[in-house]
Amino acid sequence: MTRVPVFKDPGPPDEPDDVDTIGSGASLASAVKNRVDGLYPIDPFGGDPQIQDLLAPLVQLGVRAHVTHPELLPASGPAVLVSNRGLGVVEPVVLAVAVREAVGRRLRVLGAPEIPLLGDAARRLGGIGYHHEDLAAVLRAGHLVAVPLGNTWLRTGAGEPPVSLIVAALGFPVIPVLVRPAGPFGVPWLGRWNVTVGPAVVPDAEVALDDPLSAAELAELARAGVQALIDAPAPTA
Amino acid sequence: MRVLVTGMGGEIGTRVAQLLEAREDVTEIVGVDFVPPRRRMQRAEFARIDPRNREKLVAFVTDFAPTAVAHVGVYEPHSRMSPRAARESTEACTIAALGAAARTGKLDRIAVRSGLEVYGRGRPRPSVPDENTPPSPTSPYGRECLDVEVVATGIGRRADIPVAALRHAPVVGSHVPSPLGRLLRLPVVPVPAFADPPFALLSLEDSARSFVEALCRGIDGPLNVVGSGAATSWQATRLGGRIPFPVFGPGWTAATHAAELAGAPVPPHVIELMRHGRVADGSKALDVLGLTGVRPTQQVCVDLFEWAVIVPLRRNEAAA
Repeated sequence: MTRVPVFKDPGPPDEPDDVDTIGSGASLASAVKNRVDGLYPIDPFGGDPQIQDLLAPLVQLGVRAHVTHPELLPASGPAVLVSNRGLGVVEPVVLAVAVREAVGRRLRVLGAPEIPLLGDAARRLGGIGYHHEDLAAVLRAGHLVAVPLGNTWLRTGAGEPPVSLIVAALGFPVIPVLVRPAGPFGVPWLGRWNVTVGPAVVPDAEVALDDPLSAAELAELARAGVQALIDAPAPTA
Repeated sequence: MRVLVTGMGGEIGTRVAQLLEAREDVTEIVGVDFVPPRRRMQRAEFARIDPRNREKLVAFVTDFAPTAVAHVGVYEPHSRMSPRAARESTEACTIAALGAAARTGKLDRIAVRSGLEVYGRGRPRPSVPDENTPPSPTSPYGRECLDVEVVATGIGRRADIPVAALRHAPVVGSHVPSPLGRLLRLPVVPVPAFADPPFALLSLEDSARSFVEALCRGIDGPLNVVGSGAATSWQATRLGGRIPFPVFGPGWTAATHAAELAGAPVPPHVIELMRHGRVADGSKALDVLGLTGVRPTQQVCVDLFEWAVIVPLRRNEAAA
């Protein structure tokens, strides 16, 4: 009896290490049997790609994301998406849907809650802990990770950047992203959202790794990048 | 290189000695432990010394005067001895063997066994720590490992030599004595009812390889050595075809007693692993040690339940 589990989905041949790329699914019967037998991949962050791919179509029913400039999202390799956040929970989900539709990758989101059941579920679905070590590890593992700015509640705006965490993002591409409701009066009418991807942030000076000053500058640049997307005229959807 | 292997009577120590035997730059290999090696040795010599017999151990090490020490003699509670004996043996072995080796003045490198248990578990800690994460153990074995690291690093600093602290993920295998392995092989395995956190495992071969590479390359500082990917408690239980039994709160105390009655005593760090997971970022070790083809965690877990290939009867090709 040889039972060899599948450790990760096969990515494109040129990027064999890109664990976030969505592969082809297996048949339902064998998938259910493999779940019962424990034959499914789990990554060190607690992510479960099979569950993520299973739930994605359901979420996509309720959330429609219109992506502007999807070509600016990296198709492979590690990158940080810095996004605004109004209410907090919905925007990362919208961004995950947008990334899945635009480049076919699974998104990791920084800031899984440290609550017994909810935190575990969030990690299953791609959340990672709110620690710079976790962010550094997820980037080294080649994932695409969303770092939400601070809550701005119902206002659309660029919140405070998590400076202490951005230190882990030094040396990786940082891409500002704006997520906002597409309906009238800032309401996500019929689950419609606009996602605007900005050009990657380029630090002015040579960045030193593990340098708090460089991190603060990068965080401010990313926040300014998101603010610039907010100030730009809205795209005609 | 004259290598002293402490804990040569264990599975890891035996395999480390075997791998060292195959290297030509290693001129002499001598091992000590309280039990003999688990395999036939080609040229390594073994002295049966209980580490708690400090005078004998110090005299032996001083007489041999090693240039390198593979300190595998870090005993896990309930692996091959009781928690108290494990702690005492580890402490005595660390101080006596490393101290005596350093005092000879010939010593130029040390590699010690440690564990991911040094990072502990709890709220303010990252879930995937790297080597820069400050250790703060929350279990007796974690504190034991950290003590070993501290003593070894201190000795290394005084003698100005590199000390590699290999923070291994739990090493399990079908023939490796391990409290975690025994627990997972029970017919019914307690698993957390409201969580399913990931943990990493390491194969015996990769554990031994990391020791040999760290010694031969003269690595300094801590390294996380983990199998790629992860498995969860529920998943590991099902991979072995066992029945997961959800447990929460005080139920863990009952489950611990039940497991001990069933022949698998469970120390606190194993309960910690089942309830809170235990992973770490091992990318630095792959880079620094040049390890390739490290066995993935889920494969190690499947191997734990395989019985067909328990003892390799064939001698290794190099010797044949």
